[in-house]
Amino acid sequence: MSKKIAIGPFHPELEESIYFKIQANNDKVVTNVELINGFIHRGIEALTTQKNFMQNLILTERVCSLCSNSHPFAYALAVEKIAGVKVPPRAEALRVVAEEVKRAASNLFNLAMMSHLIHHHDLMRETMQTRELIQDLKEIIWGNRMDMSANTLTGVKYDLDDEKIELMLKIIEKFEPKLKLLIEQYENDEMVKNRTVGVGILSKEDAQKLGVTGPVARGSGINNDVRVKAPYALYKELKPKVTLRDTGDVHARAMCRLGDIAEAVRMIKDVVSNLPKGAVICEKRPHIPAGEATVRIEAPRGELIYYLKTDGTQKPVRMHWKVPTYTNWEALKVMILGNKVSDVTLILYSIDPCISCTER
Amino acid sequence: MKIKEIIQPIQENLQYPYKLKEDNDNYGNKILWLKLDNKKDITNVARVIANLGGRCVTITVYKANDIHFLIYHLDVDGILINVEAHTTDNTIDSITPLLPSANWAEREFREMYAIEPIGHPCNERLFLDESITKGVLNQYIPLSKMMLGINENDILWERVEKENKI
Repeated sequence: MSKKIAIGPFHPELEESIYFKIQANNDKVVTNVELINGFIHRGIEALTTQKNFMQNLILTERVCSLCSNSHPFAYALAVEKIAGVKVPPRAEALRVVAEEVKRAASNLFNLAMMSHLIHHHDLMRETMQTRELIQDLKEIIWGNRMDMSANTLTGVKYDLDDEKIELMLKIIEKFEPKLKLLIEQYENDEMVKNRTVGVGILSKEDAQKLGVTGPVARGSGINNDVRVKAPYALYKELKPKVTLRDTGDVHARAMCRLGDIAEAVRMIKDVVSNLPKGAVICEKRPHIPAGEATVRIEAPRGELIYYLKTDGTQKPVRMHWKVPTYTNWEALKVMILGNKVSDVTLILYSIDPCISCTER
Repeated sequence: MKIKEIIQPIQENLQYPYKLKEDNDNYGNKILWLKLDNKKDITNVARVIANLGGRCVTITVYKANDIHFLIYHLDVDGILINVEAHTTDNTIDSITPLLPSANWAEREFREMYAIEPIGHPCNERLFLDESITKGVLNQYIPLSKMMLGINENDILWERVEKENKI
């Protein structure tokens, strides 16, 4: 006899409002999944057409918290493409530093959630404590733990002097051995492996078909990392090394995220040690003519695309963006089916969902 | 993949007039802009992208002078192809049967702009409650209703509870 189970729209194990209608058999194995969305739809895209280009920097930073740097970064790239502006090299470098710091913090948060959901609370505490070093770094350099307000049109709003660079490198020195230990634990810990290996599998073929991106794609053996496929800012020179796994399960996705963090640290060290000299913003405020642009960046969760259309006034005619969860979400139906009901939220978090970003 | 390997099959498969422009982003990455005269050609483009192992990233829609413009953002191995089509009768052929990655984007424009993707395999709402009429972006509506579909006679929790009692 099949049993109906509802998770959501509001539930202690859910960070944001979503609603799963699940059917399970007597062995508590999921036989049907229905996903209902729309509880956090705020009409932000429509709101952007009522704000000017500077105000939209503030608005895009507030679409979501964990990837709050990625939205204004991509938005600024779109405006700069239409305005025909080339950002100073120092600003490009500082944009990469801010983005990679956010990537490390975002991925560590997701890993901590995973260890919480498998009830490995020692590992969760260690992951969050390691993340705290990055959070401290954000507070010191940008004055905020989440919204760093690093990006602006034609550059960045912050700079790094020798003292700050030294401080960053010192924090990274403390962070690296902790990260190494975490990688080892997530890779080999029996409790982690028992709960995550072979759970929530997304095959390479399904991943390709559904157009998933980020660590979800890389966990299924697909590399569509924008930093590699269509490099922007300094990524062409930095050559990010992408972690690929082919098992497509919760464990593979977690290991891809840990690989991303290690590479983020490597790139932050590279960039701050060879920071180009010069201005951090263009001197002249840009004129934004009529035009349209599509830009993409690699947010912590995967590909983020911004489309912007302008008509020569101070406000966009249309602005649209698509976040990684938008396409990764549909893959949940494949991942969850055939798994235990008790693993549903674990599988959900393995895509590192951001509902606020997705529904806008 | 080279951009010519994408352009050539697209050009060979288009049946109606079009405009094609090659562009670069600020970092030298190739981007294609394709404007279709006839919306029927969108499935021909989607078929080529599917054969090349590509995907639909998203679809932007906007309305100008009573015409709906749809910009399909497609990707083949890191090369972005923006395809613009337009509709005056609020319908367009669905590309989801060819590119399943377009599933959500087409469902979203169906409920936000009331454009019907003909042949879309899924009829369920994506974000908006079924009590809200299609084309909601063309009208003023309270945010709480937009988000939850609530009104004075029908609140979300009642329906959730009712469903789970059955």
